[in-house]
Amino acid sequence: MTAAPSGCCAELGPGRLKRSLIKDILNAFISIPKGLAVTVRNWFFTRPAVTELYPEERRELPERYRGMPSLPVDPVTGRTPCIACGACARICPEHIITVVPEKGADPKDRKPAEFTIDISRCMWCGLCSEVCPKNCLRPARTFELACYTREGMVYRLEDLMRLGGTLRAEPELEEPEGT
Amino acid sequence: MQIDTAQLIPLAIELAKIVAIAVVILLFMLLVVLYIVLKLRWVIARIQSRLGPNRTGPWGVLQTVADALKLFQKEDIIPCGADRWLFTIAPAIVFIPAYLVYVVIPFGEGLTPKSLNVGIVYVSAISSIGVIGIITAGWASNNKWSLLGAFRAASQLIAYEVPIILALCVPVLVTGSLDLNVIVAKQSGPFWNWNLFNGFPMLQIAFLALLIAGLAEINVTPFDIMEAESELVAGFNTEYSGMKFALFFLAEFAASFTLSAIIVTLFLGGYHPPLEVLGGRLTGTWLSLVSLCWFLFKCWLVVLLILWIRSTLPRVRLDQLMNLSWKALIPVGLVNLLATGAYAALWLAR
Repeated sequence: MTAAPSGCCAELGPGRLKRSLIKDILNAFISIPKGLAVTVRNWFFTRPAVTELYPEERRELPERYRGMPSLPVDPVTGRTPCIACGACARICPEHIITVVPEKGADPKDRKPAEFTIDISRCMWCGLCSEVCPKNCLRPARTFELACYTREGMVYRLEDLMRLGGTLRAEPELEEPEGT
Repeated sequence: MQIDTAQLIPLAIELAKIVAIAVVILLFMLLVVLYIVLKLRWVIARIQSRLGPNRTGPWGVLQTVADALKLFQKEDIIPCGADRWLFTIAPAIVFIPAYLVYVVIPFGEGLTPKSLNVGIVYVSAISSIGVIGIITAGWASNNKWSLLGAFRAASQLIAYEVPIILALCVPVLVTGSLDLNVIVAKQSGPFWNWNLFNGFPMLQIAFLALLIAGLAEINVTPFDIMEAESELVAGFNTEYSGMKFALFFLAEFAASFTLSAIIVTLFLGGYHPPLEVLGGRLTGTWLSLVSLCWFLFKCWLVVLLILWIRSTLPRVRLDQLMNLSWKALIPVGLVNLLATGAYAALWLAR
């Protein structure tokens, strides 16, 4: 392709200048219809709009979506399988998880009396889910967490159970090669 | 002095008629602009794989109405240091010519608001008054971007006025009249009687030249250097807000309808249907209505063409713009005019 744009190449001499101008004009008759063809293809035929009508139409979240930590409810017992061991609270790098076990309960059936996560400082690292021995601290399938106050970012046990939904079987992990 | 009331009544009726026609044209112009703005946004959105306005009203049809209402509510700001008087009248100087051009356009059989026997001269003369308003706006704003935009507008519009008139002369020579109604009447019958499909290659060259130069005259994207957003903020209307900005906006989009109406009138058979079966044999009111529909349909197609070009081509540089006019369009237009003159004198006159 000749790079010389028309008009600003006086050093090339009048002959060259004229030829490049005429060439540009003739080129326009080819390149402009080409461009118009591209736009009209997009206009009528190819590619539906990529716009998502967000509040009305939501995207399907991926199976292993990494949301905020939550406590799904076991449909059999009607509560979370959490045993209030506090592993998540200890591993949390931001110390935002508070777990208080129910006092005076059967040691074989421990359950949390209080389970609080201050989500405003959560960094979605997922260490709490990873360390959970009962595998009951799962990422919630929600992302609309905006609220007007800092207090609104503190999620209690019942909020976490509501966000978690019902406990499902852990999605199949892909076994790494050679293990 | 004794005033005879009996003489005043016909005068009053005449005056009322004029006012009614003016109001109808104004309403028509507003509707056309509302539609063109909406269509522009839809077309560009579709081309860019977006949806465009779809929230206000069904399919977003009320979007431009909402925009207009918003503009009417806005504070009318006059910057300090601006020339208040010029700043205030500049939008009117831009708007009124854009409105006046509509007066001579033959919208349909017997539907020309005011038939002039120098129609084309009127159109090209009136529509170039708008430049004065643009320069006034740029000067009065006391803003360097506005002033630069106005400079560019002046150089661009002067450069493109010439090829437009050279292109307008070609159908005038072929049809032998400056009256838009006569030019339309000469193209009656089936579509191969239209100017675009006759007089090869002079009329086709004139059509292309008119289209290109017309795009420059109405400042749409390949030639919108006078308001080049990325360089000049918004060009000559940077400092305008509210109602005054709305007037500039209105004039700009009204001009794109004017261009398509001129193209349709001169080259695409005006209000005549493409085949006589499709409404050419009607009479009276029906003929007027059907021919109006055909005129609007053809204008709609040309407006779509303008929107299509607008959403495809990138903006040209100032020097390229000047080159295109002075080195390409004007020489070609002159030679074309000469050829048409020879054709008209030696072939058509016989």
